[in-house]
Amino acid sequence: MSTIDISVYVPVIILMVLAVLIYGIALFASSLIAPKNPTELKDTPYECGEEPTGTAWSQFNVRFYVVGLIFIIFDVESVLMFPVASVFKKMHELGHGWYVFVVFVSFISVLLEGIAYCWKKGDLDWVKSYVTENKSA
Amino acid sequence: MFHKLLFIMSTVLTVASALVVLLNKNIMHACIALLGSLIGIAGLYLTLGADFVAATQLMVYVGGVVILMLFAVMLTGGQDFVSKTQKLFDLTPNMGNATSYSVGIVSAALFGMIIYGLTESSLSSIPKKDIDPNLIEASTLERLGELLLTDHVLAFEISSVLLLGALVGAAIIARPDRSTSSSANTSEEQ
Amino acid sequence: MNSTIVSYFSTLPFYNHIIGFFNSLFGENGQMVFAFTVYFIAAFIVVNILSAVGGLGTYAERKISADLQARIGPNRVGPYGILQFLADGVKMILKEDIIPRGADKFLFYFAPMLALLGVFATLAVLPFSSGLALTNLNIGVFYLLAVSSLVGIAVFLGGYAANSKWSLLGGMRGASQIISYEIPVTISILAIAVLSGGISFDKLIGAQGGFPHEWFVFHNPFTFVGFFVFFTGALAETNRAPFDLPEAESELVSGYNTEYTGMRFGFFALAEYVEIFVVCGVAAALFLGGYRVPFDLGGDTLIGQFLQIGSFVTKTLLLYYVVIWVRWTLPRLRVDQLMMICWKYLTPIAIFNLVGCAFWLVKFDGRSMFNLIMN
Repeated sequence: MSTIDISVYVPVIILMVLAVLIYGIALFASSLIAPKNPTELKDTPYECGEEPTGTAWSQFNVRFYVVGLIFIIFDVESVLMFPVASVFKKMHELGHGWYVFVVFVSFISVLLEGIAYCWKKGDLDWVKSYVTENKSA
Repeated sequence: MFHKLLFIMSTVLTVASALVVLLNKNIMHACIALLGSLIGIAGLYLTLGADFVAATQLMVYVGGVVILMLFAVMLTGGQDFVSKTQKLFDLTPNMGNATSYSVGIVSAALFGMIIYGLTESSLSSIPKKDIDPNLIEASTLERLGELLLTDHVLAFEISSVLLLGALVGAAIIARPDRSTSSSANTSEEQ
Repeated sequence: MNSTIVSYFSTLPFYNHIIGFFNSLFGENGQMVFAFTVYFIAAFIVVNILSAVGGLGTYAERKISADLQARIGPNRVGPYGILQFLADGVKMILKEDIIPRGADKFLFYFAPMLALLGVFATLAVLPFSSGLALTNLNIGVFYLLAVSSLVGIAVFLGGYAANSKWSLLGGMRGASQIISYEIPVTISILAIAVLSGGISFDKLIGAQGGFPHEWFVFHNPFTFVGFFVFFTGALAETNRAPFDLPEAESELVSGYNTEYTGMRFGFFALAEYVEIFVVCGVAAALFLGGYRVPFDLGGDTLIGQFLQIGSFVTKTLLLYYVVIWVRWTLPRLRVDQLMMICWKYLTPIAIFNLVGCAFWLVKFDGRSMFNLIMN
């Protein structure tokens, strides 16, 4: 058996089911009473009143991807810090405060190094990479 | 009862979504099916009593990796209509060649070894009395924190260095072509 | 402190009778079925009240913006126009459901549901009072961060599925903005977790007192700054002005929900307004003492519980007012400014605050600033 009582997660599942149910019921009710007479013009995606040209699913700038990559690294670091942060006070009360502080700060300083590197190299700049790409294109 | 229910729901969600990922030719739908599969795996972690790992699964994979995949899909907007509607070309299946068969055999062997290992370990699982009773009192989160600060403090510190390496690597790979960008940069400075 | 709403019920005198009744109906599983029923009813009530709060949020937004701009605002439906949100809801159900040509139908239907799912799941841990939180997870606030990340995907998919250029731009901006601002928000929460010694909401609130100087916001200089970092990040995560780039009206028409009509547009709006309530509630619980006030409200009695809910909701709605106020006061940022604020200001400040809080805990035994001055 598991050491934690997972029945405290029942409301989570119920809320998720409720969200799906409410969404489904509302859409169903709407489909019963709402009018449905599509026309060619009505179904056209909005493009400021002009005829839309081509599909919208086009190539996007790489900088969105860079932001995503940097985010994942920081996300994992913050996830690793959560268990340590939540026992910090307990360890301090046991008299290991400065030890944990040193461990914690050395972990964070490596994280800061990462930010400093990306900052220095311009990966955090939105506009600079834009200029570069315009010229290389 | 809830334990069983959650297990069944998570398993069905994981396996069904994984099948959709395999069989769907629309890459965006496959990404979303992968999202379902990852959420199902979080549910499986929860049935094992690993609540922190389950939330981590949601946080890192759902909040990060799936979004990154969606961004990656958006990087590949092609020119012609086929790739723009993001349908794969209709490839004709062939009967396979020496490479594909050998890869298949290796995968089957690996899979068999994993299955064997799983059944073996479940037969000879650690008896309950070997676990330190003091540890069971605390929540999984606090146990993790204590272990990260005592027995595994080196792993904790090294993981930050590993992540720093990953960050630097990711930043370098994702940068636009180095030769053109550096020339553009210098011209910009002039 | 009760861990769930069912364990609160189990302290009531007639609990054994109910369990006996359920056992006679369902045999062995009686207790579990009873727990399910209670949870379901409680969850249903919470979801409905929060939806009403979200609806009233749209009304408040219009009324407050009208006040700020010296207009009258909605005043036709009901007294002071307060039933406007019901009229809007009815209107949305009656509206035609338009799916643009070439849209990805499945994702077009799926995206608002995902947003609703992510937001409703966060309600499970919101601590309304010492007795009424649907559940008390020992990973409380971490769970909340984890499930709310579904909203980012929903915004992106909503933008992608419509096959409209404005939508897609809004969706891409929305997703990148939400994930970016998650970092300073998470690190600010970590700083509070260090001081309170846990990340479940009962520990976070239990570490604070009733008086303002016992709240974490005035605990030390670092948490004071951390509160503003958290609040700014929360504004950006809910796509509120001045960070409303995903739906920037003047450039992207309406951003990721440009092509949405009727009920599905309504659900995106509902998810947004409920999410604002949730993040304001989290800010109130983490930094402003949650349901605590300087005097004892009597959490043992039913009336005391209602008073606690009142105090929590009051704090939350005050923050909600600030959110609306900020929206109608500040101009929108540019995308590059948005990213610069996140990565070059908020994240380093949040990390500095985290180190500062850790230092404060070790150096001063985690006592508050006020405490140190008084001694």
